[in-house]
Amino acid sequence: MLNVLMLGVGQCGNRILDAMNKEAFGGGGASKLAKYYLRPKFPSRVETLAINTAVNDLKELRFTTAKDRLHVPNLHGVGANRNVGKQAFMENRDMIMGEIEKRGDFDIAFVITSTSGGTGSSFSPLLINELKRQYKDIAVITVAILPFREEGSIYLQNAAFSMRELMEVDAEGIILADNQYMKRFSGDIASAYDKINNMIAQRLLFLIESLDSEMLSVTDLGDFKTVMNGGLRIGTMGFYQADSKNLSIRDAIENSLKPGNLLYPANVADDAARAMIIIQGSREHLDVDEITKAVEKLSASAGHVFKGIMVKKGRPKILSVFTLASAPELEGIYAQAARAMQEEKEKRTRARKQLDDAFAHIEDLEEIY
Amino acid sequence: MKASSYRLGLICLLLYVLLIGSACAAESDEEDEDEITFRDFSLNIGDRVDLDDYQMELIEIQSLRDGLVVMRVSRVGGSLDEQRALLLDSPNNFDGGAEKGGVTITITDIFDEQSARVRLEYEQKLGTPRKRASDRPAAMPEKPELLVQKSFDRNEMHVGDEVKVTITIKNTGTGTANDIDVQDIPPLPEFTYIAGYPPKIKETLDSGQSDSAVYILNAAREGSVQIPAVVVSYADSKKNSKSNSSEPFSIIIRPKSKADLVINVEDTPPLVLDEEGLLNISISNQGSASATRIEATGEVSPSDGLEIKGLDKSFFEIPPGDAANFSARISGHKRGIYTIRLKVSYDDGDGSVIREATSRAVVLKREYKYQYLLVIIPIIIVSAWIYRRHREYKY
Repeated sequence: MLNVLMLGVGQCGNRILDAMNKEAFGGGGASKLAKYYLRPKFPSRVETLAINTAVNDLKELRFTTAKDRLHVPNLHGVGANRNVGKQAFMENRDMIMGEIEKRGDFDIAFVITSTSGGTGSSFSPLLINELKRQYKDIAVITVAILPFREEGSIYLQNAAFSMRELMEVDAEGIILADNQYMKRFSGDIASAYDKINNMIAQRLLFLIESLDSEMLSVTDLGDFKTVMNGGLRIGTMGFYQADSKNLSIRDAIENSLKPGNLLYPANVADDAARAMIIIQGSREHLDVDEITKAVEKLSASAGHVFKGIMVKKGRPKILSVFTLASAPELEGIYAQAARAMQEEKEKRTRARKQLDDAFAHIEDLEEIY
Repeated sequence: MKASSYRLGLICLLLYVLLIGSACAAESDEEDEDEITFRDFSLNIGDRVDLDDYQMELIEIQSLRDGLVVMRVSRVGGSLDEQRALLLDSPNNFDGGAEKGGVTITITDIFDEQSARVRLEYEQKLGTPRKRASDRPAAMPEKPELLVQKSFDRNEMHVGDEVKVTITIKNTGTGTANDIDVQDIPPLPEFTYIAGYPPKIKETLDSGQSDSAVYILNAAREGSVQIPAVVVSYADSKKNSKSNSSEPFSIIIRPKSKADLVINVEDTPPLVLDEEGLLNISISNQGSASATRIEATGEVSPSDGLEIKGLDKSFFEIPPGDAANFSARISGHKRGIYTIRLKVSYDDGDGSVIREATSRAVVLKREYKYQYLLVIIPIIIVSAWIYRRHREYKY
């Protein structure tokens, strides 16, 4: 059995972790009261831990047990300040790692974090380093969430620096999810957040299940690590469930790779480095020839493609995980972040100058009473 | 001189008066001595009346009924010695009767067989009669006296009941009663006789003896019945006829006695499923006759779900005022309300009668002593579980 550690760091990470816990109670159909009469059912031994410096963020979680919520005491959050976040992590490192250590050994850890927030973006690189240092054989996958572009310059700045640090740590790879990209799924931001969180949670659990299941065609942790080590070690996930009108497995595989079903905007045909296709469905839908043809087609562009087939009653479900050989969208983010930072810097300089000019009026004067 | 002549004249007048007086008195005495007088005497047998040289003795009361009394009249010297039966109220002359210097004797009354009133008429010159009581002890008179009594063995009875009538005759007198004849009025319309009628009593009963006769009647018609007296007639040793009768009395004949069975079936307390209970039944006879050949049979409605053992019973007899009690075991196998109908047939003395009674039995679901815990414990467990989960998720 696979030992999986799911760490949700910061508000975004916490919420995605909470969505995973909710999924473990039965998914979207689970009642809000399910936690009172059900036990979370993970496909493997999954330990979850929500880490945050803001107590209020932890309190908002609904499906995560209290013991799985770790408050790093730093008043009420780090205020999107990564430096403060880093300092808070270092001051509480032993406590944080002690909490993780209590949960035993793990084969793989998912660090789910927003790249733009304060706690998540600052804690995650340091946390991954600590995990790698403490657990020698652990595979660490970062699930990094890119912010809405209009959320502000600090978030863009944080995303930029955080991504760079995440790329520099010794993790197996990064699975990207772009809020800006997925915003299209819902009209307003609040419901978009919930939908994105649930979507990421479903795909991660599907992935964990596929790594720890008896399969017709096996994909395991090693294959996953190989995929994540490909290209930029930055990847994303696509998902598609066939509808009753079209149960073609080949179409389902191709649909899972379409941009509309990805967490991050990518052109699989052009950008994919390595891929893993996990297929689940009733035996009658699992036409091996069709699967092979679809995989061969993907292989032609993506290099190596691992495929795993799980026989499970239901319509075909496809999870595609792939790493990117190039990430042009990231460049756009960085450019946008740089502009924003530049504007921020100029704005601050102007403001300072204005303030200095104002102070100049009283430069040679003294207070008279 | 004049005075002495006056005195002499007065003396002469007195002497004359005395002489005249004494002459008249002598004449009068002569007339008185010839006058007839009488005197009554009550005499017992043996008593004697002496008058001059006459002796009159009561010898016997020969017949009280015929008024015959025997007297002996004699004269000292033997010139008269006659014993004669004197008829009541008939003067009997001896020596020519009182008018001729003899005596006339009349029996004016006979008191009993031992004594009588005797009137003696005589001339006054014979002197004053004197009664001489008899020195002989008075002979015990032979006087039978029969007491008769008629009795029923009960004063109240029912139509159809047998009643025993006893006629008792007892001679409480001093002589033998002969020719005893009992006159009992034949059975009244209210009775039919069964045996022993007419009553047979001995024809002769000595003093102190008694005899009785019993006959049996059957009460035939209800109502209050005046029982007439029984009359006994008899004669003493002198053939004097006598009779006596009993006191009349009344009795009540009630309607024919019947048995009346009342069935009381106690309602059983509610039974729990498969639990046994007792159904107590009492059949009491509130009638006035015994109920016989009593058969009790029961049936349950609805027929399945309630089992009854021992409801069918039979009894030979239940006397009036008595009761037969028994219990039936009941056990319920299906919850519900059951009706138990008990039918009792019996002979009430006038024919076959059927009585019915019903009872109700309720079979409840099995009751568990701490059944409420089945609700409370799960609620506690669920509450504890929810609280635990709440604590688990509460941050």
